[in-house]
Amino acid sequence: MIDVVREIQLLVLAVMLLLGAAAKFTDRSINGQGPAGLLPVRFHRPVALLHGGTEAALAVGLLVLKGQPGNIVRGATALMFVLAVVTLIQLRKRDPEMGCGCFGGLSSEPVGWRTITRAGLLAVAAVSTVGLPVSGVTALLGSASAHAIVLGAEIVVLGALSPELKEIAFRLTHRTPCELRQVPLRRTMARLRASDLWESNRATITSAEPVDLWRHGCWRFVRFAGRRNGRDVDVVFGVPITGGKSGVRAVIVDAETGTTLVGFGEVAGLSRSDRARGGDGAARAPYEAV
Amino acid sequence: MPVDTRERRRLTAALLGGGTAPVPDEPDPGVVRGTLVDIGPHLISVATPQGEERFVLAEDSVLWRGRVADVTELSPGQDVIVRTHPDNRWVAQRVWSGLARVTGVIVAEEDGLLEVDTGHDRRNSVVAIPYRSSGRIQVRHPILKPGYLFDAVGLDKDGEFQAMIPVSSQPPYPVAETPRRPAVRRRPTTVSGTVGWYDPAEGRSGDPLATATGAAYPALDRSADCGPGCDQVTSCAPLPLLSIGTSFRLRNDCTGRSAALQVIACGSATARFCDRCATCGSEERGRIAQLTLTSFIALGGLPEAGCFNATLTVG
Repeated sequence: MIDVVREIQLLVLAVMLLLGAAAKFTDRSINGQGPAGLLPVRFHRPVALLHGGTEAALAVGLLVLKGQPGNIVRGATALMFVLAVVTLIQLRKRDPEMGCGCFGGLSSEPVGWRTITRAGLLAVAAVSTVGLPVSGVTALLGSASAHAIVLGAEIVVLGALSPELKEIAFRLTHRTPCELRQVPLRRTMARLRASDLWESNRATITSAEPVDLWRHGCWRFVRFAGRRNGRDVDVVFGVPITGGKSGVRAVIVDAETGTTLVGFGEVAGLSRSDRARGGDGAARAPYEAV
Repeated sequence: MPVDTRERRRLTAALLGGGTAPVPDEPDPGVVRGTLVDIGPHLISVATPQGEERFVLAEDSVLWRGRVADVTELSPGQDVIVRTHPDNRWVAQRVWSGLARVTGVIVAEEDGLLEVDTGHDRRNSVVAIPYRSSGRIQVRHPILKPGYLFDAVGLDKDGEFQAMIPVSSQPPYPVAETPRRPAVRRRPTTVSGTVGWYDPAEGRSGDPLATATGAAYPALDRSADCGPGCDQVTSCAPLPLLSIGTSFRLRNDCTGRSAALQVIACGSATARFCDRCATCGSEERGRIAQLTLTSFIALGGLPEAGCFNATLTVG
């Protein structure tokens, strides 16, 4: 049983190190810089990349090496986590608001006892693997139900010690509001071309590409040149950033006079007060105190 | 692709309703910009695009040229902006001369001069810091090195900017280390924050842009408007994405004055600032718009203060 626990540590350590390396390479949040944040600014990114690269190299070593090289890597991993404990304690004293940076920007919560305990446990786990005759990959291939039970228990413990899970849950459950979301143009065009309004107005459109594109909050507008009843017109589509193709709106406007000739979908049109002010719904004197 | 800004707003209103894209308000007649023709103890004469205009200088009229000045410091040929008295348009309440501002990221420092990147659609500015204002600048901008933010009001002297008053506190980290905006939960139809100003005419009072109204907006749609060389970062305030030509309503939270303004340029440099404005004590961070100089004054802002707290509403 002891060997099962020791073998599973190789996999746990490798996965934790790989996730940490990937997060450091991809997330550049300032609160997730960890100890690198204590160094001069010019060293922040190089140190983060060096840290991530070291973690990735150790993870690969834990998975594929055995014998003396494997023991060196396991010892180095233990040393790294011991250093992490010391550094995190120092970081907590120097900058209580700084996250540990263990998983890049996901680790933006201030360093607490959970993070320090986790690093300590991983150091113990790394020490326990020294002297194992198998590599991480061999342990994975030879794993049995006992390995799965130990792994499950360890995941629960590490999960409880990981403040990053709260951040992941928040990111998964809170989508950016449509007003703020950058959406590729091709997605807007695909939604437009899949809509019924596109089909019904295709014959009117004479330009192959849009003559103008613009954005207003949750809407992107696409304007095409067209011709209707012998007159030049503009065919303007309003495509919602979210929602289906059914939300698309369109108006056909006389290109010369600017008069709206016809509207499709839930087109708001201009109210009487809009027309009185030339389009502004709120008829109030400019610059007055409100 | 040429941008027909007038059509964009009108077509947006046709599809979504007039309240969504309000008609931009006309320039405030109480703000006059032009070239100083003559000034005496009791009268100031300004050449404007509409002709020469004369204003009475009352006892409580305030003149500004880098600091509060007297009439002898203003001379013909200078770029001046007059804010008239609210009760009498022929009385100048405040007069600013040679007003200029540089907001952006320091890109070079040489021989005591700074070069500041003010955004991808504007020229870099050269900044000189006179000895008499260097202490004040250093207090709020302690790191005058490439990569750090700079924002100061000063004087335009023959094309060179002389920094006089720092109008923000420089973050202690370079722009590359700016924190990401936290996740936004609510729909941002109204956003409170800080409003600054810029001079689209760069001190040339005869330029048609000198009296332009509107705003440079720090959250333009990248695929439609930002264009090549776009250096726009995500603004610290949760601003709805807009395009040049669209419009929004802005209220000065300090004075209550409000106006509908059109987006006329990209305010990419201001997106890098996540500061507060202390004018009337709001806690909201982030710059929500960079108004043209005349719009800023029309909404009750004091250019030498650099900012006011405002609420932006996008329909």
